[in-house]
Formats: sequence, C-alpha cells, structure tokens
Amino acid sequence: MQIIKLNATDSTNLYLKDLMNKRSLDDFTIVVADSQTLGRGQMGTKWESDPHKNLTVSILKKMESEQFDNPFLLNICVSMAVFNTLKTLHIPSLKIKWPNDIMSGHFKICGILIENIISGPRILYSIIGIGLNVNQEKFLDLPNVSSLKLLTGRNYELDGLLLKLQRELKNSFKVIEEKGADAIRDQYESVLFRKDKPSTFKDANGQVFMGFIRGVSDQGKLVVAHEDEFLREYNMKEISLLY
Amino acid sequence: MDIKEIQSLIKFVAKSGATEVKLETDEIKITIRTGSATGGHETTYVQQVPMAQAPITPAAAPVASAPETPAQKEAEADSKLITIKSPIIGTFYRKPSPDKPAFVEVGSTIAKGDVLCVIEAMKLFNDIESEVSGKIVKILVDDSSPVEFDQPLFMVDPS
Repeated sequence: MQIIKLNATDSTNLYLKDLMNKRSLDDFTIVVADSQTLGRGQMGTKWESDPHKNLTVSILKKMESEQFDNPFLLNICVSMAVFNTLKTLHIPSLKIKWPNDIMSGHFKICGILIENIISGPRILYSIIGIGLNVNQEKFLDLPNVSSLKLLTGRNYELDGLLLKLQRELKNSFKVIEEKGADAIRDQYESVLFRKDKPSTFKDANGQVFMGFIRGVSDQGKLVVAHEDEFLREYNMKEISLLY
Repeated sequence: MDIKEIQSLIKFVAKSGATEVKLETDEIKITIRTGSATGGHETTYVQQVPMAQAPITPAAAPVASAPETPAQKEAEADSKLITIKSPIIGTFYRKPSPDKPAFVEVGSTIAKGDVLCVIEAMKLFNDIESEVSGKIVKILVDDSSPVEFDQPLFMVDPS
C-alpha cells in the first residue's frame, strides 16, 4: 500500500494526477497533505482548511474496463465510504446531502471532489479528493460548516482516521462488485439529507417551491416530488435546497 | 454517367465534326464545344446539376476530368477529420480552472492522452483525454456550456 505524505502542496488531487502521469501507482494509493494551498471545491471555488487539523487527502482508484459506465456511482460509493467511517465514530445525525456533502445535522463536515480521467467511452482512473474537517475549531464566515471536534468535543488522530477511510472506500467498491450498484444506491438513498421531509427548493429561475426529496435517478439527478405528487428530476444547476 | 463515358462522348463529338453538343439528364448537364468556334481549342463543360457550373479546363487534349468544387474539397477534408464526442452529459469547460489557460486552442497539436477539456456533472470532474494525436481543427462548443451525451466537441486532423 502506498501512502505519500506531504507537508504542503497546492492540491492533493493535482499532485496525485501529476504523479500518475509520471509513474505507475498501486490501486488506492493515498496522497495526504498537512496543508493545502490551493484546495478546490466546485469549479472555481476553494476548499480552505487549517494546516495539521484536518484530513485533506486524495485516493487513486484505477478502473477495470467498463466497471463504471455510470460515473455518478462514484459519488455514491465515496459518500457512503465517508458516511460509514464517521458512523463508526458515532458522529451524530449523519446524512448525505445530494450529491456528495456529508452533513451532521445542518452542518457540512466533509466535501468530496472526484476527478475522472476518461478516454473514449471509459473511465481510466479516478482521483478521489476528500476534505474532512476534523480538529479545526473556527470557521470564519462559514455558518453551515463544522468539524468532528466541534461536534463531539474530542480530538481525533488523523492517521488512524485516514486508514479507516481507506478501508471503508475499498469496502464500498466491494459492495458494488459483489452486490451490484442497486445495493449501494439503496443505502445512499436511505441516508439522504431531508429525504421525504417537506423542504424548500429554489430552481434555476429563482422560483422557490415546496417539495420532498424522494431519491436519485440512474444518472444521479435529484428526484423531487412536488406538492401535486408530480415527480421531477433535477440537475445540480437546476435546483438548490434551502435549509 | 462516369468519367469514362464522358471521355468517350468527347472523343465521339470531336470526331463527328459537330461544333457543339448539349446533353442533359436528371443528374448531369454536359455541354461539349469543339475547337472551331473558340479559336482552335476544344472546350468542354461538365456540370453537376445541383452545383455551380464547373468549367473543365480548355485543354488541348480532349480528355476531361471533373474538377472538385470547394464544397467537395471541404467534404473530403472533413471526412479525414476525427470527431471527439462527449462521453457524458454535463457542463463543458475548456480550462482546468477559471484563471488558467485553455487546454487546447484551434491549431494546437495534441498527443494521445492529452487532456482536451473537463466535463463537470454532479460535482464529478471528468478530464477528457484524446484517443488520437493530431491537430485541433475546430472547437464546436463554447466554454461553460451544457453538453449532451455523444455531442461532438472537437474536430481533430490526425494527419
């Protein structure tokens, strides 16, 4: 098993991607950094994290041929791995906010950014970036963000947490191999944030409406039941959940 | 009517001593004029009906060959090009991040395995690698616009 520890890097995902181009790496190779200077969130947004306090890690997953014809399955797989890791630590009120934020109550505690390298019709490999807020106690200007320490009052040892996370990730992929994609999707849907609860959404036109999250489609779209019980599917940019 | 038939027709007209013969069918319109009327040279016109009139060079030799129209040339050039299509639904990005330069521009030389663009879907960022080497001839989608599965993204000249 390869674990590469860095004091500082621009982004662990970028580091791992560059390294992958230079030499061959084992499946589930880990790059972990004490401090990340250019952590990324969604296109153009940043992921900020205090040095030495959190897990900022990227894990390589090489793909067998045609293993992932549906890329959204990766979001499910990785979210479930983080979810299961935190569940063993008894973090309260854990949920997954579609598509892949890990929540405790109303607080986001983990962000996931997956990059796939695709050639032709197939994914060659995935770089799975995970930012887990562990021992950080202050988050400036981020009201909906928390850490394991803030939630439980305990300090956590980062190395142990990382190994747990890697084990759970391997396990998630094994569930897909052995039980099929539907098995892990059922698990994912059962822990979706605000599932079957009356929720307020905003669509792309700024229109606010009431609805119930019912699940995700095969392509990973969010399935929302409107008040008239009509089911609609939404893409990332077409809807935001207000909470 | 193929080129051999046209050639033998020209020979036939030249031998016959006629100064001009016009032939028109559903798909082709041919006018063959022999030397005497145009100052000793034989001139032949071949016209494909749906296209612009394409004169065949007034050559001394009575052999005609159909010239390529610009449209035909383009079609032939396009047929050599490889279209790179989107493997997934998502948002097409030409840059790795907003403050970075684009992966490729028209005219860029690319090698197999080079990243051409990123397609984001549901917070998954997908680097699309080229399966071929060559030169980018066309970029068919604007930065940050939505793309469908199988939508053409780039035209690459593999030669």
